[in-house]
Amino acid sequence: MAKGPRRRFAPDRGVFTALAVAAGLLGSTSATAQGLPAPPVQVAGLTPQGLPLAPPRAPKPVDAILVASFNIQVFGEAKLAKPAVVDVLARVVRQFDVVAIQEVRAKSDGILPSFVQAVNADGSRYQFVLGPRLGRTVSKEQYAFVYDTERIEVDPSSVGTVPNPGDRLHRAPLHARFRTRIIPVGMAFTFWLVDIHTDPDEVPQEVDALADVFLAMKAARPDEDDVIVLGDLNAAPQQFGRIKQIPGAGWAITSGPTNTHRTKTYDNLIFDTRATTEYLGRSGVLDLQRAFGLSLEQALEVSDHCPVWGAFYPAEAPPVLPPGGIATAPGPSPR
Amino acid sequence: MAPTDPIAAAQAALSSGDPATRRSAAERLAQSGTAATPAALALARACADADDQVREWVVAALEELGPPAPGVVGDLVALLTGPDPLPAYWAATLLGRLGEGASAAVAALATTLAGAADLAVRERCAWALGKIGPGAGAARDALSRSAAGSDERLARLASEALTAIGG
Repeated sequence: MAKGPRRRFAPDRGVFTALAVAAGLLGSTSATAQGLPAPPVQVAGLTPQGLPLAPPRAPKPVDAILVASFNIQVFGEAKLAKPAVVDVLARVVRQFDVVAIQEVRAKSDGILPSFVQAVNADGSRYQFVLGPRLGRTVSKEQYAFVYDTERIEVDPSSVGTVPNPGDRLHRAPLHARFRTRIIPVGMAFTFWLVDIHTDPDEVPQEVDALADVFLAMKAARPDEDDVIVLGDLNAAPQQFGRIKQIPGAGWAITSGPTNTHRTKTYDNLIFDTRATTEYLGRSGVLDLQRAFGLSLEQALEVSDHCPVWGAFYPAEAPPVLPPGGIATAPGPSPR
Repeated sequence: MAPTDPIAAAQAALSSGDPATRRSAAERLAQSGTAATPAALALARACADADDQVREWVVAALEELGPPAPGVVGDLVALLTGPDPLPAYWAATLLGRLGEGASAAVAALATTLAGAADLAVRERCAWALGKIGPGAGAARDALSRSAAGSDERLARLASEALTAIGG
């Protein structure tokens, strides 16, 4: 879709806030609702330090970036203490350019730094963004983005918690704006990622609230129309409610299970197919058992969810909109 | 004699004096998905565990369960009024998942909705009453007061419950 000759990557939170207010969507996190200051968001330093020497890594494609979502069930100290589990998690992350993580559950702030250190043990240069602890009870969760700094960069000032319209979401989504680094800046694909984990007992209400979140993020910046909502929706596409009514709304995972038991379609990436023409039509579920030769029990130790992913062209795609037709993005043939 | 059914064994281990054993049991139940539903009551009780990691795995297990057995309604009602809000929150959630099968809990849910100190517990009671539906008519007054209250989320959940109850 036409996106102008060169888009600013500089943050503009004021624009976002003003538009959210204008749209009647300015909500509050549970923390601010209680009169507390908004909890901080952590953005790790952008310069990797102390990376160990390691064997050469497998090259990643130059014609696609891979965006993934992964609910790492109860990602905390206990999971991090299992080297075999951490090894699988690290190998999962290294397959993708940016991973939206759900269910970081730890009292310590050291989980993501330790995990990213494990990811980078092969010489990779990943970094992370970690959201505030969210939840209505004493049991809190954090969202995170882990991304390959050699291929993706984040605008640190774009990171924040999405306004929660009507306080309808148990865990207000975490947003951040990213840009690919494997293409000259002026042509690089920029996009919002909006990380979400819905409450399994209020799925219809939360999915409908996500439709409002999606539209608010679309309106957040006049120079950014690529919004990818991704995470554990606890809902299959047929349960997407008002999201399905958004013109152009599409999703990467159309069918098939995304949980480790292979019984439910819970995880997805949602975007506007008319705007995000960079989507290459390639997506999938990384079956933990098959990909890593694990038994069901071993895979469940990693997570009860499998990662889901979609491939996107790394440059801003020009609009390809024949009259009455469907947009198509330039790019490689499906692998 | 230890139970041979893995769910029953893990359920029993939730009462162990050893935190590591309890953690492992809760993790196994969380990995079992809906198969762990027979352990629903034990998991709701284990929300009060002193160990953080046990609680996190217990909550993860509870999130995946289906409706509990109707026979545990009385025990879940008893958890609604306990001193710890987390077991009360999950007791209300499990009662809501039972739907009309939890109609015997309406009075207790209405009382907790009106009087609990913890807002999340009150919200879940309103939600659960809506899930019970027309059989929760006795909770109309408590729901109406909550629907007229200042908390936006609680008011919405109470209004939705009143709509579900009808009449």
